[in-house]
Amino acid sequence: MTQTVRTQAIPRADRGPTDDLDAGRTVSPADIRERLWHFFISMRTGLALMLGLAVLGLIGTLLVQAPEGLKSDPQAYPAWLESLRPRYGGWTGVLDALGLFSIFSSIWFRGIVMLLTTSVLACSVNRAPHLWKQAVHPRTNMSETFFAHAPLSASIAAPTHPDAALAEIQAAFRARHFRTIVKGDGDTIHLYADRFRWGPFGTVIAHLSLIFILAGALIGTAWGFRNTGLAVPVGSRVDVGYGTGLSIEAKSFTDSYYPNGSPSDFTSDLVLYRDGAQIDAATIRVNQPLRAGDVTVYQSFYGAAAAMKVADPTGTVVFERGVPLEWTSSDGKHRVGQIILPDVGLTAYVIGAASGEVDPQIKPGQMGIEVYTSGSEGSPIATGVISQGQPAKIAGLDFTFVRERQFTGLIVARDPGAVFVWIGASLLVFGISLVFFFPSRRAWALIRRRPGGSSIQVGAVVRHDVSFEADFKRLVDELKLALTGPSAI
Amino acid sequence: MFKMSEYSFIAGVISVGLALGCYVIAFVAARVMRQRTALAGVGTGGGTIGVDRRGGVNLGAYGTLLVYLALAFLTASLVFRTIATGHGPFANMYEFSIAFAWGTLAMYAYFERRYHERALGLVALPIALALLLYAMTIPATIDPLVPALQNNLLLSVHVAVAVVAYGTFSVAFAAAILYLVRGEDGRRGLPSRELLDEISYKAVVIGFPFLTLTIVLGAVWAEVAWGTYWSWDPKETASLVTWLIYGSYLHARVVRGWRGERAASLLLLGFAATLFTYFGNLFFGGLHSYSGLNNQ
Ligand code: HEM
Repeated sequence: MTQTVRTQAIPRADRGPTDDLDAGRTVSPADIRERLWHFFISMRTGLALMLGLAVLGLIGTLLVQAPEGLKSDPQAYPAWLESLRPRYGGWTGVLDALGLFSIFSSIWFRGIVMLLTTSVLACSVNRAPHLWKQAVHPRTNMSETFFAHAPLSASIAAPTHPDAALAEIQAAFRARHFRTIVKGDGDTIHLYADRFRWGPFGTVIAHLSLIFILAGALIGTAWGFRNTGLAVPVGSRVDVGYGTGLSIEAKSFTDSYYPNGSPSDFTSDLVLYRDGAQIDAATIRVNQPLRAGDVTVYQSFYGAAAAMKVADPTGTVVFERGVPLEWTSSDGKHRVGQIILPDVGLTAYVIGAASGEVDPQIKPGQMGIEVYTSGSEGSPIATGVISQGQPAKIAGLDFTFVRERQFTGLIVARDPGAVFVWIGASLLVFGISLVFFFPSRRAWALIRRRPGGSSIQVGAVVRHDVSFEADFKRLVDELKLALTGPSAI
Repeated sequence: MFKMSEYSFIAGVISVGLALGCYVIAFVAARVMRQRTALAGVGTGGGTIGVDRRGGVNLGAYGTLLVYLALAFLTASLVFRTIATGHGPFANMYEFSIAFAWGTLAMYAYFERRYHERALGLVALPIALALLLYAMTIPATIDPLVPALQNNLLLSVHVAVAVVAYGTFSVAFAAAILYLVRGEDGRRGLPSRELLDEISYKAVVIGFPFLTLTIVLGAVWAEVAWGTYWSWDPKETASLVTWLIYGSYLHARVVRGWRGERAASLLLLGFAATLFTYFGNLFFGGLHSYSGLNNQ
């Protein structure tokens, strides 16, 4: 009652001027808590959030999404947006401002996920005590009125003693794997029967599983990493970084093809080092990663690499490793790799012809070299083309193109949240299966002594369950036959 | 084996077509005769043709028989193809379309046995037929598997589970369509609204756990192949959208006012999302672009 009054006391903007504010009524914290609670346990809220999430998901499949990590790149992102302009025209800016090109990290998406999680939690907290009570302390005694109004009910007048009737009814329920609880004595007996009484807890499990999944996702984002582009030239060792102390050496890479030219297999022989000491070695392929502790290494891509050697004027070797030609030039005709020489403050680019491209300047067996001052943009301080095995001086350094190699492209990831996601996913499947494949069923009976026998009422509350309805009818028929049929005395 | 698979496939298509023909004729005949027995449907009284009920041909029953026959042929086709290719029917849209049609027929057959409502077939069979005809437009060639798809067991289970889910959604959709077409008054000799509502619900009750499992298995596969259980790949996202819609449907039924037409509309939306997820390969790109129709 009081609640209704309060509800009306809160002024609504669309009601125009009201005296309520002047009347000095305020919204108390308890009031707000109450309203929030009702908001979150409302199924309407839940539906709106679920369907809202579905709409965002739909947008995410229909609109091009920015590749992972691109948004934080101040140069690449605008260029990427520009490439969308022919498609979305003037809308490009609007869509971008709304965050729709990275919808799954947008405020909309995060907001709805947070609200939905809160709602799911609230619903479970709201509902669980009731379910617990139903399973553990079910209401066993039902009144006449219940049987009169129950969706499924039947009355039987039997020329039997109530105890005999009870035994018959119990047997019928037990044959259907129902548990029975009997209350009362001689003249009035209450019987309660249920099956799969833990089934409804599936909803609670399913709801809570979402919390696990979300927690797993958050933990993964906060403490995990995922490098999708670790290129390791065959014969070289590359640091994994991210504070893992790991480095990976590629012993070999093999790509195999079917006769029709489509790829059949990619494998890399890897050796894994931690702080310089070998800790693992394995052959990995697509679908067969290397798991070392909490870090996993996946086969992802491959390409050409150049084994390079750079020496300074004193003859000291400052660089000797394979350089993966990871990037493709904007005209698509060249493959480009990078050498960073921190000691001399220079960055060199190694340029080879892309496969199938013929470049009159860079012939097979040759690499183009462009040297820049590290950190500066603009034109190179020196360029040159070198042939395999023949050192050449460029920008005062001796560059040698030792030989062509391949590089294997790896994904290296650590996701400490994944285990929570898998627990959550298992609970989700388990919970949902529990609700749906073990539907809880409940029925009551009231047996009363009458002159010359007993009166029996059986009833059940069902929610769309034709098979239970049919079974209930069969049960009643059985009871009628057993209790009033010719054999029953 | 390849040829056997092809022949069984064609036989399956023909059987579905004939079954649909039987159902339609039986249904139309039933309407013409305006027979409305207690179980007023295509099956019982409605299936009889001719004035003499006993002497007539029960076309509806023949239709059911043809559905079983079609199921047998399609099963054979899928089995032969699996033997021929050495992997489950997941490598391209041709294989998966047959599997989807199979799931629709199988789930339809299950629900027909359980509820004796052949009227469902009037919608479910055209869906199966459309999928099969669509499969006929795709070259049936066997291409070797690209490395990412070489995870036979996981992928076969992933797809098998998806096929059950999709099949039940076809049935739920069929019941929802009939629900909406039938209207309040039910002049058209269709099953009662309560029954259609329950059939939809029961179908989703089977389909939703299977869809959940499909998504979870997809996540497991993604983790093994791509190093992350979720990457917002369009196909993944579309399946999540589908899942959310069916989840909403289940919850909507808890709210009284959402029973009936609104729930039925959610089922239409859900099936649209299912088809979107299914055909998504053709235009999404992304990691699932294995449709076999482009140069992949
Ligand atoms: C994506 C998120 C959700 C999932 C996966 C989920 C899962 C489920 C499942 C599987 C059921 C059983 C359905 C049935 O018996 O037909 C259920 C029931 C239910 N859910 Fe959710 N749910 C979600 C979100 C929500 C939200 C947001 C709310 C609250 C607004 C909510 C409240 C309920 C309630 C009240 C029931 C009925 C419980 C009962 O009858 O004991 N759920 N949920």
